Amino acid sequence: MATIRVQRRDNRTIDEIEWKAEELEIVEQPNGPAVAALLAAGVGVFVLGLLTTLAEANTDVADWLNFKNRVGPLSGKTIMAVAAYMASWAVFAPLLWKRSIAMNTVLIVTAVLVAAGFIGTFPKFFELFAA
Amino acid sequence: MDLTNRETWAALHGMFFGAIFLLAFAGGLAGLWSLRPEWVTVNGLKERMFRLKLGVTTMAVVAWVTVITGTWIVYPWYRAKPPAGTTDLTDFPKSLLLATPGKEEWHKFGMEWKEHIAWISPILATAVAFIVLYYGNQLIADKKLRYASIVLFVLAFAAAAVAGGLGAFITKAAPI
Repeated sequence: MATIRVQRRDNRTIDEIEWKAEELEIVEQPNGPAVAALLAAGVGVFVLGLLTTLAEANTDVADWLNFKNRVGPLSGKTIMAVAAYMASWAVFAPLLWKRSIAMNTVLIVTAVLVAAGFIGTFPKFFELFAA
Repeated sequence: MDLTNRETWAALHGMFFGAIFLLAFAGGLAGLWSLRPEWVTVNGLKERMFRLKLGVTTMAVVAWVTVITGTWIVYPWYRAKPPAGTTDLTDFPKSLLLATPGKEEWHKFGMEWKEHIAWISPILATAVAFIVLYYGNQLIADKKLRYASIVLFVLAFAAAAVAGGLGAFITKAAPI
C-alpha cells in the first residue's frame, strides 16, 4: 500500500491515492516560476507575430529587421522575438519566483498572447496589411 | 549516391532533426498525459519522470537546432537571388517557384507561413521543458499546470508539423 501525499504550502496534507504500494511525498512549490515561463513564452510568440505583421505593413520596419542580408527581415523578426522571450523571462522570473498567482488569469493571458502570435504569422492575415 | 552540401543540410534540417523531434514529442506527450495518480506507482513514476524529462528537453533542444539551421543555413540558399540574366533557376528555389505558373503559392503562402510559424515551436517547447524539469512530481497533483503544459506541448508540435509539412512539399516543388 502507498500514498501519494501532497503537502500544500498552507500545511494542509492531501492524500491523492491511498491504495498504491508506496508513498511519495511532494512538497508543493509556488507557481511563480511556471507563470514566468508561460508569460514569457506568450510574449515571445506575440512579438514574433507582431513583427511579422509590422514588417509586412511597413517597408521601413522590414528594412530595419533586415539584420543579415542573406536571411532578410526574418533574421530581425526571429532575433527580436527570441530576445523579447528571454528578456521577459529574465524580468518575470525573479519577480514571481517565490509567489503563487491565480493560474486561471495567467492561462488566459498566455492563451491570448499565443493565439495573437499564431494569427500574426499567418500569411492570409498579415497580407491584409501589406504596404 | 552522393549528397551535396545543400542536400545534406536540408536532410539534417528536415529529416534527421524532424525524426528526433517526433520521437521526443511522442515520449513527452505520453509521459505528460499519463502522469496521473491513479495510473502510477512510485517506482513507475521514477521511470516515467526520467523519460518525460528526457522527452521534453530533447524536443526543446531539437526544436531550437532545427529552426536555427533552417533559418541561418538552409533558408539563405532558398531565397538567394539569381544573377541578372540567369535562365536556369534550379539553384534558386524561391525564384523558381515565383517564375513557375501554378507554383507561386508554395512561396507566397507556404514558405511565408513556414518560415515564421516554425519559430513558435522552440519557444513553447522550452516553457514546457522548464515546467517539467522544475516541478517534476508536482505535476501529478497540479492538474491545471499539467494540462497547460500538455496544451503548449501540442501547440509546439502543431507549429513544427505545419512548418515541416510545408517544408516537405516546398522541397518537392523546388528542391534546395
